[in-house]
Amino acid sequence: MKHAFTMPAELYAKMLDELSNLFFTEKLGLDSDMNFYRDDLWLSDTAVIETLIRRKGTWEISLLFAHHKTPLKFLSRRITSHSCPHRARTMAFYMRRLAAKDQRGTLTVDINDLNLTLN
Amino acid sequence: MNNLTTKQKILEASIRLFNWNDVANVRLQQIADETGISVGNLAYHFKNKEAIVNAVYENLFDEFSGILSGYLLSSKLTDFDLQMERYHRFFARYKFYLIDLFEIERSYPAIMERWRECVHKMVLQIRKRLDYNVQRGILRPEPMPGVYDTLTNNIWMTVVFWIPQQVLKDQPVDELLFKKSVWEHISPHFTAKGLDEFKMEVQPLFLSFK
Repeated sequence: MKHAFTMPAELYAKMLDELSNLFFTEKLGLDSDMNFYRDDLWLSDTAVIETLIRRKGTWEISLLFAHHKTPLKFLSRRITSHSCPHRARTMAFYMRRLAAKDQRGTLTVDINDLNLTLN
Repeated sequence: MNNLTTKQKILEASIRLFNWNDVANVRLQQIADETGISVGNLAYHFKNKEAIVNAVYENLFDEFSGILSGYLLSSKLTDFDLQMERYHRFFARYKFYLIDLFEIERSYPAIMERWRECVHKMVLQIRKRLDYNVQRGILRPEPMPGVYDTLTNNIWMTVVFWIPQQVLKDQPVDELLFKKSVWEHISPHFTAKGLDEFKMEVQPLFLSFK
C-alpha cells in the first residue's frame, strides 16, 4: 500500500476553518467594478508601453496603458501576434506610437510611483 | 464495463465478492471465476490476495479522498447535501467495509490506520460545517458546550452505519431515506433563515427521487 500524505489533525482543522472563512472574507464583486475596463476614455491620458511575449510559438504584442498620474491604474491589452520577432518588434513600435496620445513619449510612468515593496 | 482493463475488471469482481462474502472468505479462484479469467492470468496481474486487497483499498481511499475534497465547494446547505449523496454512493458500493472492520484491524493494520485518518477527517469536516453554518446564521448557536460535538457524532454514525442497519432490518437502502435521516439530525437546530434556505434549496432536490 502506497504511503499516503498525512497532516496533523490540528492543522487539518485550521485548514477547514480557513476554507470556511473564505466565504466571509471574499465577496462577489460588483458589475460597476469593471467600469474602468468598459469606459476606456481614460486610456487617452496614459503612458503606453509595448511588450513582446513569446507564446505558443509566436510573438505576442501587448500594449500596457498606465495612467500618467495614477500609475496603479493600468490595463494590458493583447493586440496581435507575429511568428517573426523582427516584424513583431516593428509592429509593436508602430502600435505604441499609434496608441499613445503624445507620439514623442513625454507621458511616462516611473516605477518609483508604484510604491512597490519588495519584501 | 467492456472498456475496463483486466486489472480493473479484477478489482470490480473483487469488490462484488467482498460485498457478498467478506474479504476473509474470498479465494483467488473465486475472483478469477468472477472476472472470467484463469488463476494464472490473475496471478500475472496481482501476485497474491494481499495485493488485490491493497489495490481495492487504494481505490476506496482515492474515492473517499475525492468526497472529502468536496468540502464547502459552495456556501449553501446544498453543498452538504451533495457530499451526503456521494457518501451514500460510496458506502453502498463498498458495503464490505463494515463486515471487515475488525478483520482488517487484525490482518491489515496499515489499511486500518488509513481508515482511522479518513474517519477523523470526516468527523472534523462535519463539525466545522456546523460551526460555519452557525457563523452564517443558518444554525442556532450551541445551547450548551458539547451539544454540537454530540450532534456531529450522531450525523457521522448515521452516514456510516445507516446502510448496514437498513439491511439488518430488511428495509430499503434508498438514497432519499438516507438523506432525510441525516437532515433530521440537523433540522431542529435551524434558525428561521436556515429553515427558509432548507425549504427553498434542499427540499426541492428531494423531489427528483420521486
